Amino acid sequence: MNLRIIASDFNASLKTWKRSKGTMFWTIAFPVLLILIFGAIFSGVDEVTYEFHVQDLDDSDWSHTFMNILDNISVVDIKTVSADENITAFIEKETLPVALVIPEGFGEAIDKSFFGEEITVNVSFHYDPSEQGSSASILRSIVTSSLQEFNMQLSGGRRIIGVDQISTITEDFDFIDFFIPGMIGFTIMTSCIYGSIERNTKFRKDGVLRKLLTTPITRAEWILAKMLFMLFLSFVSTLVILGVGILVWGVSLHINLFMIVFMIMIIIATSFLFSGIGMIISRFVKEEETADMAGGAITFPMMFLAGTFFSLDMMPEFMQSIARILPLYYVNEGLRNAMIYMNTDKAIFNTAIVIIFATVFFLIGVFVTKWKED
Amino acid sequence: MIEKSVRCPKCHELVTFSGKPGEHLTVTCPKCSARGKVTFKKSAIDQDHAIEVSHLKKIYGDLVAVDDISFSVRKGEIFAFLGPNGAGKTTTVEIIESIRELTMGTVKIFGKDIVSSFNDMKEKIGILPQEFQSFEKLTVKETLVYFSKLYKKRADIDDIIDSMDLKDNQNKLYKNLSGGLKQRVGVAISLVNDPEIVFLDEPSTGLDPKARREVWEVIANLRSKGKTVFLTTHYMEEAEYLADHIAIIHKGKIIAEGSLEDLINRYGKGSLLHIKGCKTSNTVEMLREKGFNATSKGNGNIAVTIEHKDRLLEVLSHLRHECVDYDSIDIRRSNLEEIFLQLTGAKLSEVEA
Ligand SMILES: Nc1ncnc2c1ncn2[C@@H]1O[C@H](COP(=O)(O)OP(=O)(O)OP(=O)(O)O)[C@@H](O)[C@H]1O
Ligand SMILES: [Mg+2]
Repeated sequence: MNLRIIASDFNASLKTWKRSKGTMFWTIAFPVLLILIFGAIFSGVDEVTYEFHVQDLDDSDWSHTFMNILDNISVVDIKTVSADENITAFIEKETLPVALVIPEGFGEAIDKSFFGEEITVNVSFHYDPSEQGSSASILRSIVTSSLQEFNMQLSGGRRIIGVDQISTITEDFDFIDFFIPGMIGFTIMTSCIYGSIERNTKFRKDGVLRKLLTTPITRAEWILAKMLFMLFLSFVSTLVILGVGILVWGVSLHINLFMIVFMIMIIIATSFLFSGIGMIISRFVKEEETADMAGGAITFPMMFLAGTFFSLDMMPEFMQSIARILPLYYVNEGLRNAMIYMNTDKAIFNTAIVIIFATVFFLIGVFVTKWKED
Repeated sequence: MIEKSVRCPKCHELVTFSGKPGEHLTVTCPKCSARGKVTFKKSAIDQDHAIEVSHLKKIYGDLVAVDDISFSVRKGEIFAFLGPNGAGKTTTVEIIESIRELTMGTVKIFGKDIVSSFNDMKEKIGILPQEFQSFEKLTVKETLVYFSKLYKKRADIDDIIDSMDLKDNQNKLYKNLSGGLKQRVGVAISLVNDPEIVFLDEPSTGLDPKARREVWEVIANLRSKGKTVFLTTHYMEEAEYLADHIAIIHKGKIIAEGSLEDLINRYGKGSLLHIKGCKTSNTVEMLREKGFNATSKGNGNIAVTIEHKDRLLEVLSHLRHECVDYDSIDIRRSNLEEIFLQLTGAKLSEVEA
């Protein structure tokens, strides 16, 4: 191993990269663009809030608590209707799909129930049955479940209904939290596959590999230099993606040693994994353009099938079982569990699988790649 | 193979034997059948050969791409490996460069077998592969620095840039260079380790005449620096202009070998007389009647083959005697094109694999 040679080759790769708009685009601009676009589309969905008009005729501590519960549900945006309004007329005037009325005596009834009185009090949920609009049914189920929660806590004798406990019902990861790790895996996959294809087709055709064979550089030095550069690219992409994710979309990243160690392991393994796959492709498809197409034919379906952009739970059973044979699936799962869900067991499991995939594919890749001509 | 002549100790007959340098052979006198031993010297001839190829064969499936060829390249000479497309030039040169494996035979560089000691040779050789394209996004200078860092022995990059006349373009990206400049950079790359042997595989193919000339100058310059150059080409002018020693390869076999003079003397058909703008009709017929090999080239141009210089005067006196009117005449020696035509029955520039 000659470090001078490796450093010089790394430096040449770096210069080439900085001067190639194409690769710059795929390693930086493309992921950023996708994050911005997908983030905008899906944050829109997440931020859909249902305006919910509530008339509080009771105006007691209990009615306020209940209003609070509703208000803490992230998708619900409570609008108070003044007690003076006639609710039916108000609904008509404002053409509201739904409205809720907390009756007078709501708090009193609850207080009495603490002294053993079998008393029930009903809130009135006004809605238009002819209108099968989703907001009405969503809001009704929200009200029902909130009431259940409220009732349960009351009968459990707990006087204070903590906001924290309520917020656990709605704690959910945003789409972008799901998307960012997928984007990291996808970007590393594409830049490593295409980089590896270029090195093994274009450089072969151009005689660069033949030339190198007659110079003192060894294959091990060349591969090491190129892999170091691919790792550098992978980490640059990761940092850019995380940066945009955090700054623009407020990704809920849990930064700790565990996450960093596993992320690094997965990124390294993923880089080797897809560089190996690129070598295998260019062993069989010698022409650069055709090999690029073969690369696309592998990465593009894999991107969707491995749950990069959409959770696999949304897909039919058989699609989910396909995902389980795709290396990218384990990359995605590994990154998500390490970075977002903080699920140690799953992170370890998926990282191990990615490392196994990486070892196998990279070794096969090195083994099938020849520098010599026939 | 080298030859050695010895006198038989019994019958005093002078007999020539051939063998490998350093070889000890038991030989039999063809006249008196006496047996004796002959030792072939290792050093003398050996030392001035940069490359020795013997009985080299390369087989691809059914195709014998290189068919049992032997030749050697002397130190300090420009050796041209001349042949049409698909003749086996690249196959041969890439076997010598250890890029391809040979099927049979041996190749030695500076007396060492390449199969066992190619790694030691790497510092001593520089190659330009056929149709080589360097890294697109590096400048000329960066490219040369990159390749020179691969070696222990390094020539001064600025010297190379000067001598290859690349100074004005040293900071241009490789991909923005013209074809001729790219080839010059390719040659420059092959010099970064100050090699003793430079292999150039068709360095001027695809270039316009001006760019080709410039590449030729660069190559001629290498000889003056004492480098051995192994040049493959399918341009006979290139071989004629540059080479000290030419081997013509056709369908995997070497069909002629020697200096340009040697080849012309051995295979050439003398000279060709061109009569241009002949205005007298039946001149061709007249010359043929007198026993000359004359052909009409159209537009009143006539070519006459001259096997011996006396015949030239004869032609001229006939022209004068018959009052033939013409614009000009010139006379050309046989060239490699004609030699190739004569040896293979095909024109070098028109043969395809
Ligand atoms: N890897 C290979 N597999 C099979 N056949 C090959 C291979 N390489 C070369 N050949 C064949 O061997 C023959 C000699 O090819 P080679 O490239 O050595 O010719 P060349 O003299 O360099 O021609 P050119 O002027 O076109 O470069 C050709 O018929 C070619 O098709
Ligand atoms: Mg060739």
